[in-house]
Amino acid sequence: MIDLTNINTKLWQEIMDNCGDIRKCFNCNTCVAGCPAAEGTPPLFIRNLVRKVLLGLEDELLDDETPWLCVTCSACEEMCPMGVHPFEVCLAIRRWQSKNDETYIPAATTEIFETGHTQAVGQAKDKRKEVGLEEVPPTIIKFPELLKKFQEMLRNTDIVRENDYMFKD
Amino acid sequence: MKYGLFLGCNVPAVRPDVERAIRLTMPRLGAELVDLEGSACCPAFGTFPSADETASLAISAWNFSIAEEKGVDLITECGSCYSSLRIARSKLLESEEKRKQVNKLLKPTGKKFQGTVKVRHLIDVLFNDIGPEKIRKSIKYPLENINAIVQYPCHTLFPSEIVGFDSPSGRPHMFQELVEALGASVQTYSRELQCCGGAGGFVKGSFANASEFAFKKLRAIKKETDAEFIVASCITCLQHLDRMQDELNKKNGNNACSLPVFDYNQILAVCMDFKPKEVASISTISRDEFIKRITKK
Repeated sequence: MIDLTNINTKLWQEIMDNCGDIRKCFNCNTCVAGCPAAEGTPPLFIRNLVRKVLLGLEDELLDDETPWLCVTCSACEEMCPMGVHPFEVCLAIRRWQSKNDETYIPAATTEIFETGHTQAVGQAKDKRKEVGLEEVPPTIIKFPELLKKFQEMLRNTDIVRENDYMFKD
Repeated sequence: MKYGLFLGCNVPAVRPDVERAIRLTMPRLGAELVDLEGSACCPAFGTFPSADETASLAISAWNFSIAEEKGVDLITECGSCYSSLRIARSKLLESEEKRKQVNKLLKPTGKKFQGTVKVRHLIDVLFNDIGPEKIRKSIKYPLENINAIVQYPCHTLFPSEIVGFDSPSGRPHMFQELVEALGASVQTYSRELQCCGGAGGFVKGSFANASEFAFKKLRAIKKETDAEFIVASCITCLQHLDRMQDELNKKNGNNACSLPVFDYNQILAVCMDFKPKEVASISTISRDEFIKRITKK
């Protein structure tokens, strides 16, 4: 039995901001059938996530880590017969979780803030030299003055402003 | 033909031999590559798109503005970069409100998003702008009597209305024809269009299941085809199918699954007689014997 005593009836509106109309989901399972992460433990079942959102089960949704298993292949996005945009639902739930519990904010966002990249692009000098490339590629890592501007831009975003202790130059 | 080479993060840091192969092969085919100085992460779906959409779109817009200043479309190998940038562009073009928000953020940096350039994947450019015939004529060592399988990058297939260039999305053919242009026979199998499973959080969050998912594909390749190598055109597919064969062999205590995995521009570069040490030197499953067989060196 699902306990509906402590629900957030506005939850679906908070989530639906950047995805399709999730009210059209009728649990057909197409988003699960072709999903690699549906084979995870616990599995990612987007249709179940949509149910949680529509029922307003806020606490359960906040504790549910399965949206982070998504491989981003977007096959569900192609196949959903109701235009719910399951992949966008997945990302919208992650954003909602990140906003309501900062421990969800991916560490890679701070790496991008610090270096402009998710990988140590500036540390691959020997590897790059060996294959005949310039040691540092002409990306943001090569131009400190651009990286500074990039960081200034991100300082004006909600995520960095609200969690400024995480984001260091 | 002039394109802005969008490098992303994984190619220049982890597999620079792929970058080298792209930089050598594309100009040989008449495609001039220009650098996008100051470009950053696309950003990857597991980063800003999972935390703050406006910040995420601002980073994509930062990248677009660099290509816009040069008046070139962005070209990329990485499936995630391709999809992230395509989806961001589509969202920005659809919503004036979002365009206003990101341009407000960009303003102090002196940059602006105008929406004047597109994002292209290498497969798209190689097939539609250059064409298999020109590629066929460009190579020195054809892959005669060699069987291949191709790994279609899912980020170039779905959602087709935003990322697609092949048709129909459920039965793509361009990548296969590009590999056939090198002289190889491409075989199909039951799990051909299944994702490699290497992107996003599946491997990190559920390693045993993610491995088993990849093993199913590898077992199907071994059982249903006589493939002697795998061709990818996405940094994640390339690394994951390479690594997962090693994991499968460790599990089985043998080397039964050891198919060399190449990025398309890497195998193209080898066929064009560029130095394998520069264009195909980094892998887990050895590609040396296979390259020797092709180049007879």
